[in-house]
Amino acid sequence: MNRAVDPRDLAMDGDGLAKGEVLLEVKNVSLRFGGVKAITDISFDIRKGEIRAIIGPNGAGKTSMLNVINGFYTPQEGTITFRGEERKKIAPYQAAASGIARTFQNVALFKGMTTLDNIMAGRTLAMHRNFLWQLLYFGPALNEEIANRRKVEEIIDFLEIQHIRKVPVGRLPYGLQKRVELGRALAAQPSLLLLDEPMAGMNLEEKEDMSRFILDVNSQFGTTIALIEHDMGVVMDISDRVVVLDYGRKIGDGTPDEVKANQDVIDAYLGVSHQDEGEG
Amino acid sequence: MFYREAGQFKTTYAADQQVFPILQDRIGVAVILFIAIAVVPFVANDFFMSAIAIPFLILALATIGLNVLTGYAGQLSLGTGGFMGVGAYACYKLATIFPDVPIVAHILLSGIFAAAAGVVFGLPSLRIKGLYLAVTTLAAQFFFEWCFIRIPWLYNYNASGAIEVPGLTLLGVTVTGPAAGSIPRYYVVLAIVILLTVLVKNLLRGRIGRQWMMIRDMDIAAELMGVRPLYAKLSAFAVSSYLCGVAGAMFVFFYLGAAEPSAFSITLSFQVLFMAILGGLGSLVGCFFGAAFIWILPILLRAGPPMIGIPIAAETATHVTSMIIGALIVAFLILEPHGLARLWQIGKEKLRVWPFPYA
Repeated sequence: MNRAVDPRDLAMDGDGLAKGEVLLEVKNVSLRFGGVKAITDISFDIRKGEIRAIIGPNGAGKTSMLNVINGFYTPQEGTITFRGEERKKIAPYQAAASGIARTFQNVALFKGMTTLDNIMAGRTLAMHRNFLWQLLYFGPALNEEIANRRKVEEIIDFLEIQHIRKVPVGRLPYGLQKRVELGRALAAQPSLLLLDEPMAGMNLEEKEDMSRFILDVNSQFGTTIALIEHDMGVVMDISDRVVVLDYGRKIGDGTPDEVKANQDVIDAYLGVSHQDEGEG
Repeated sequence: MFYREAGQFKTTYAADQQVFPILQDRIGVAVILFIAIAVVPFVANDFFMSAIAIPFLILALATIGLNVLTGYAGQLSLGTGGFMGVGAYACYKLATIFPDVPIVAHILLSGIFAAAAGVVFGLPSLRIKGLYLAVTTLAAQFFFEWCFIRIPWLYNYNASGAIEVPGLTLLGVTVTGPAAGSIPRYYVVLAIVILLTVLVKNLLRGRIGRQWMMIRDMDIAAELMGVRPLYAKLSAFAVSSYLCGVAGAMFVFFYLGAAEPSAFSITLSFQVLFMAILGGLGSLVGCFFGAAFIWILPILLRAGPPMIGIPIAAETATHVTSMIIGALIVAFLILEPHGLARLWQIGKEKLRVWPFPYA
């Protein structure tokens, strides 16, 4: 099964937006847990077709921001507009139905299921045959299963994980689990893909592979990506624009070069490069 | 040597997705079905059919029911006995109100009542998990036991307080009641168990089964893939209780013949739970292993010593059997926490690479 993946097969065309238009807009969002302010008055946007990085020190509110975007948390203040529709409170499955998929900081795969089933799980929303057809596993239900299997196999080819297709994911090494999780999110053919530290805990080679996959997803499928990542080398290399959070507030926003030059960002997070002082 | 999949290439996804992709497995299943259908009824005596084969099949179905809920959907339940009782009493009422309708239709319908009961008592699962959920299903168990004792309408105001199965015929053959022979009963039970096992397997390998496993393995991620926990959990409760209800109805109509409320006590719930755990949670073949282990082994242990000429008092045999079974359960769970199904799987993997230790 070495045929090339046809980008049109996996692309998400449903949003009808041209590249560069605003896909998601976060406006004045604040999120509190009791007295703890996780996010304070944050606004930024994500444009169709870009790779948008969210960076910041630990506890800055990055993951909380993703949780707000896909409906796990409901912010006390502010609005989120996705594909031109403003929404206040939304359940995670509704967010999924509207075209937002994500991966998790700590791999959240379905451990008892195989790689194939995990990625098939990502296609839950693409499958509609009712209970009675499911009971028979025949006719329309079987055709639907096979049509979705074909999509899943394209993703498996794309991520080069054919050899682990039938292995329960609990037995896979960490790097591959991360890749399967990316596959599961891609299977939903999202218009916005949220990646929460896709390279955490990886070695250099795995990071390079993952960076390549992210760039390929973005260029081949046209998927808009928002990612949280701590590896500044990766972030500055692959992202189009970066938003920087610190203590729940936005302290910087712009292209990687602008962010690198921003004094607030340097103080809070990036620090001063030691390369200037020569190798120690 | 004989158990190899080498050379068995799949060229379509349909072929790859079949239940038994390996030819030898298909042959094995065909042989087992042939033995169950065409050999057992003609070889086995009446005791084997009535006391071993029939209850084994029925309890295996109940175990499948519990396994759908606990093994596949991850919702712990102690209400199995209660749901089986709902099926049994529903079937009894249906059979006495509409005696002309074929009994198989009553059996299959009675599961729907159990499914409805399961959905109602499954509602807490939307907020409660794990052991706490088990406690709320325990409430279902006690509630239904209370109903079976306190609502005389359920047992048609019988003076004994028990339900007594009327003699019903299917295609001219008496299949229930005291006059029914063991072979017709066996065939009806076997047919229903095979049918429902196939249907459940289809559910499990499709979208709905995947949703259950998603909820079991990582409910947060499942929601993010578009699974609605409400539907996924309640459908698991419904299907599980349906199977338990059908098993309960068959338990009374084809095995016990008459039942008091105590037949569906918490003891039965635990028995089925042990079958599911020992057989292997999340495995259909494990349900049959577990049911065989818990149901058949004690009978063999009791019948064994007299057969080989060791005189042993019936009471002593019962006590010794309980001790041995208890010890075996503990030993098995220490050796293989994933149950007999996992042992079976390991055995098959070893056989594939034999004579080498690994591939």
